[in-house]
Amino acid sequence: MSRSSEVRVRLPDGVALHARPAGALVRAASTFAADVFVSVNGRRANAKSILDILSLGAEGGVEIVIDASGDDAVEAAEHLALLVPALA
Amino acid sequence: MAGMVDGNGAVSLILVSHSAEIASGLAEMAAQIAGPTVPIVAAGGAVDGSLGTDGGRVLEAMRAAAAGAGAVVLVDLGSSVLSVRAALNELDPEELEHLSVADAPLVEGAIAAAVAASTGCSHAEAARAAEEARGVAKL
Repeated sequence: MSRSSEVRVRLPDGVALHARPAGALVRAASTFAADVFVSVNGRRANAKSILDILSLGAEGGVEIVIDASGDDAVEAAEHLALLVPALA
Repeated sequence: MAGMVDGNGAVSLILVSHSAEIASGLAEMAAQIAGPTVPIVAAGGAVDGSLGTDGGRVLEAMRAAAAGAGAVVLVDLGSSVLSVRAALNELDPEELEHLSVADAPLVEGAIAAAVAASTGCSHAEAARAAEEARGVAKL
């Protein structure tokens, strides 16, 4: 049965979603079977695609929405909700 | 994309460019995004360091990668493609099984392939990630 989950988290101040933090997010999202998306300011990107995530241009301190759907969607959303505020 | 990194480590990237600076700068950028687990070989410039490609170095890099965890090869233009094609002709069928050449834009493709490789995927999957870069809008 497919599940879905959505969480809102904030990027740490001064940590934009580019370079190393973006790679860390994509790597983490890729460990789940669920489809995972990240939305910022009305733009939604595939969390498993580094180019998609980089194109968001998410600046440090902004709120992002993570939505996941699939069997391990809840676990994926929970894991990323913990990871994002800890990005450095 | 699932699948863990096996005992041989992540697949590597071989960046073939006419410019040594492009290849090494891109290697640095891809490593920063993908982390330290993905080996990246910068095969840029001619033998004497001028603009061009060094077919021998490309072949050597591909042969070394084929003997290890495998690699995805990314190219810029023209004779870079010819150098890689020539190398492919020199390699054994068993070696070719460990290599993929990505038909992708060099910068975006390398970033996408490096991050994919860092998740422990196969060289073919990393090449597919690079090729998806063709469809990603920049603006």
